[in-house]
Amino acid sequence: MSTPSSCPACGEVLPEGAVFCEACGSKVTGPSSVGTGDVDVAAEPAPFEELGSGPISAPTRITPLAGSPGFSGASGSGAAGDRPCLACGAEVDADGYCTSCGTKQPSERDHFRETPASWVAGVCDRGIVHSGNEDAMALLADEPAGSRAVLVVLDGVSSSIDSDVASLAGARAARETLRTPLPRGMGTDQGRDAAVAAAFAHTIEAANGAIVETTAADSDSPASATFSVAVVEGNRLSVANIGDSRVYWVPDVGEALQVTVDDSAAQQLMEAGMDREAAENGPQGHAITRWLGRDAPDLTPRVAALDLTGPGWVLNCSDGLWNYISEPSAITEQVRAVEATGATAPLDVALGLTAYANACGGRDNITVTLARIDAPVPATGQNPVPTNEID
Amino acid sequence: MAEFTASVFQNEYLPDGGTDVNAIVTVTCAGAGTAGQTGGGAAGEIIIVDTSGSMGPQTMAAAKQAATAALNEIVDGTWFAVIAGSDRAMLAYPAVSSGPGLVQMSAQTRSQAQQAVSRFVGSGGTAISTWLDLAGQLFGSVPQVTQRHAILLTDGENRERDDTFEAAIARATGYFQCDCRGAGTDWQVDEIRRISQALLGTVDIIPEPGQMETQFREMMRTSMSRGVAEAQLRVWSPQGAQVLFVRQVSPTVEDLTDRRVVINPLTGGYPTGAWSDESRDYHVAVRVAAKAIGQEQLAARVMLAVGDDVLAQALVKATWSGNSELTAKIDQQVAHYTGQTELAAMIQEGLAAKASGDEATATTKLGRAVQLAAETGNDEATSKLKKVVDVQNEREGTVRLKAAINKADEMALDTASTKTTRIKK
Repeated sequence: MSTPSSCPACGEVLPEGAVFCEACGSKVTGPSSVGTGDVDVAAEPAPFEELGSGPISAPTRITPLAGSPGFSGASGSGAAGDRPCLACGAEVDADGYCTSCGTKQPSERDHFRETPASWVAGVCDRGIVHSGNEDAMALLADEPAGSRAVLVVLDGVSSSIDSDVASLAGARAARETLRTPLPRGMGTDQGRDAAVAAAFAHTIEAANGAIVETTAADSDSPASATFSVAVVEGNRLSVANIGDSRVYWVPDVGEALQVTVDDSAAQQLMEAGMDREAAENGPQGHAITRWLGRDAPDLTPRVAALDLTGPGWVLNCSDGLWNYISEPSAITEQVRAVEATGATAPLDVALGLTAYANACGGRDNITVTLARIDAPVPATGQNPVPTNEID
Repeated sequence: MAEFTASVFQNEYLPDGGTDVNAIVTVTCAGAGTAGQTGGGAAGEIIIVDTSGSMGPQTMAAAKQAATAALNEIVDGTWFAVIAGSDRAMLAYPAVSSGPGLVQMSAQTRSQAQQAVSRFVGSGGTAISTWLDLAGQLFGSVPQVTQRHAILLTDGENRERDDTFEAAIARATGYFQCDCRGAGTDWQVDEIRRISQALLGTVDIIPEPGQMETQFREMMRTSMSRGVAEAQLRVWSPQGAQVLFVRQVSPTVEDLTDRRVVINPLTGGYPTGAWSDESRDYHVAVRVAAKAIGQEQLAARVMLAVGDDVLAQALVKATWSGNSELTAKIDQQVAHYTGQTELAAMIQEGLAAKASGDEATATTKLGRAVQLAAETGNDEATSKLKKVVDVQNEREGTVRLKAAINKADEMALDTASTKTTRIKK
């Protein structure tokens, strides 16, 4: 397979062996899917064709794999017309256009939402520039509010094949390992940290296994993804990540805190003393140094924890959001701005932040997951085994 | 059973802030069958011949011959009548004064009708409203007739108050279709075109009596080939959008915008009359609210419905793009028909200006028409224009009005002004 040295659609310089352009998402080997003026009405796939129990994201698949996860978003079934219009709420016609406002509905893989509990929600959106959504998320939460939540975000690397399938499989596999509460250790903080790190290592292993499983054995551009997870148990926030998806704590009072540390060239430059703006906007600003996938360099996550002391939001997001508001102060400001529009429910705030990223240009896929913390108190007694099923 | 297909030609890409979406939708009908034979109700035909005193002996003889020829084309079983029109309308055939005013075509009724035609004598004035009203009553007297078509021949100006004439046209609109022909040069194109446009028919001049028979035969043959009695063009547009216009642009330009009837709050219906095996083009323009770059939405669904059944549909889309190479292009079909629509307007306005003595305006408008006819490859318009103006520079559109113009040539240019050509592939 030959790769041109720059993207035919947007001119971005391409790394050796790239199949998709990381800047605009165009396929760069074979015919480009972007920039052609002629649209054949009949040849355009209906937006909902790929839903139901079939394999997800058929267009970029090479080898359909038995046992790959079926897609079922928050609403469960995916037949055309099942979901109301995302723009105005009216009925959607079988051909995927709203019967009232005419808005073209994204496929469920391109835009999905989850609301596992009243205080936890997420939005995973294709954005504007990319033609597919390689981001994925998987959420888990218990009632009552503030008890226990799991937010998993994976950002599939779009220069490789099948990252959309792989990232969703990875996110779901990771979530399954976190149905049981994190260990509390044997008394000491060190013991607890070691036990939590071991649990997260197991989670990473499961996610990586799912990604590798969806990768064709002979693929010369194996699927890969970033990984970040936030687990809320009472007033304790535990996080683990590989790559550059981020967890922030956004308290209602005061400034946000980035809880995770990126595995990225920009982070290395910042650690060497460069300021954030210059590092993240430099030529290598978006290069990640670690990832999940068959060619993952190493699978040890960065693990951290934070004791929450007041009300606020736990935000786990992909770079599709934080690209536009990387500084904690910018995150804080934007969350406040969305809240000022009257949004209080986690889903509404997540939609508001997604809309903001799209309004900024939507240059990448956007995933925003949130857990609302009102009055953090330590988790008491034995954690019950969650019974909440959201699939 | 007739089959309809619809295809759309457009540039769906709008620039940032763009709101107006233009598309040409081609609707094609196949397997239409024969009028009145497809199970959707019976067909009715009425031949209306001007028998006023102005009809000279030669014209009258030709008209009789033409009506006779048209009767020969009416398929057996079709309900029909013949009206002789002067300052009032007379039912020439069938000879009844009450009950059903149409009879079914057979060898016997055809020969009786042709005898009735042969007895036409010219006398009296011209009151076309009475002719249209009688035709409507006759169609109404036979309820099983659902496909209603008339042929109207006149040779002179209508001698009625305008509101009387308009009211009669309004009563007939949506009830029957009517093709109109003017014999000689003493009739008014504007006047007769009002009938044909409202009643979804054609208008043309028959300058020489000798051409009448062929024209009548053709008109009736075409009508008999329309196996689909009535079809409706439907346009859905999104909540908050505005349908700027809906025009038929081929085979002729007919503005349908004001003919809209409400199907539901977002969908309007426009009459298209009866269909044979043919293809027609429609230009639909919709104004939608601008969306962000990268967003896609449906700007219109253009549907063809027979009764309550939607038989074909085309999707008109809007996608906002920051790529000016995509957004700057005007679709070839849209450009072509925009030019042809302007051509029709320029010819009509130019001739109207000339008739009112405003030669400067006439010269400018007809000059623009010459330019547009050349640009859009409408050779028929070009040749008709050249009989009225001397072309100095076709590309620039500079012309001079001819010193002596044959009245028939001017009228032929006027009646043919709405005829369009398809884009040259």
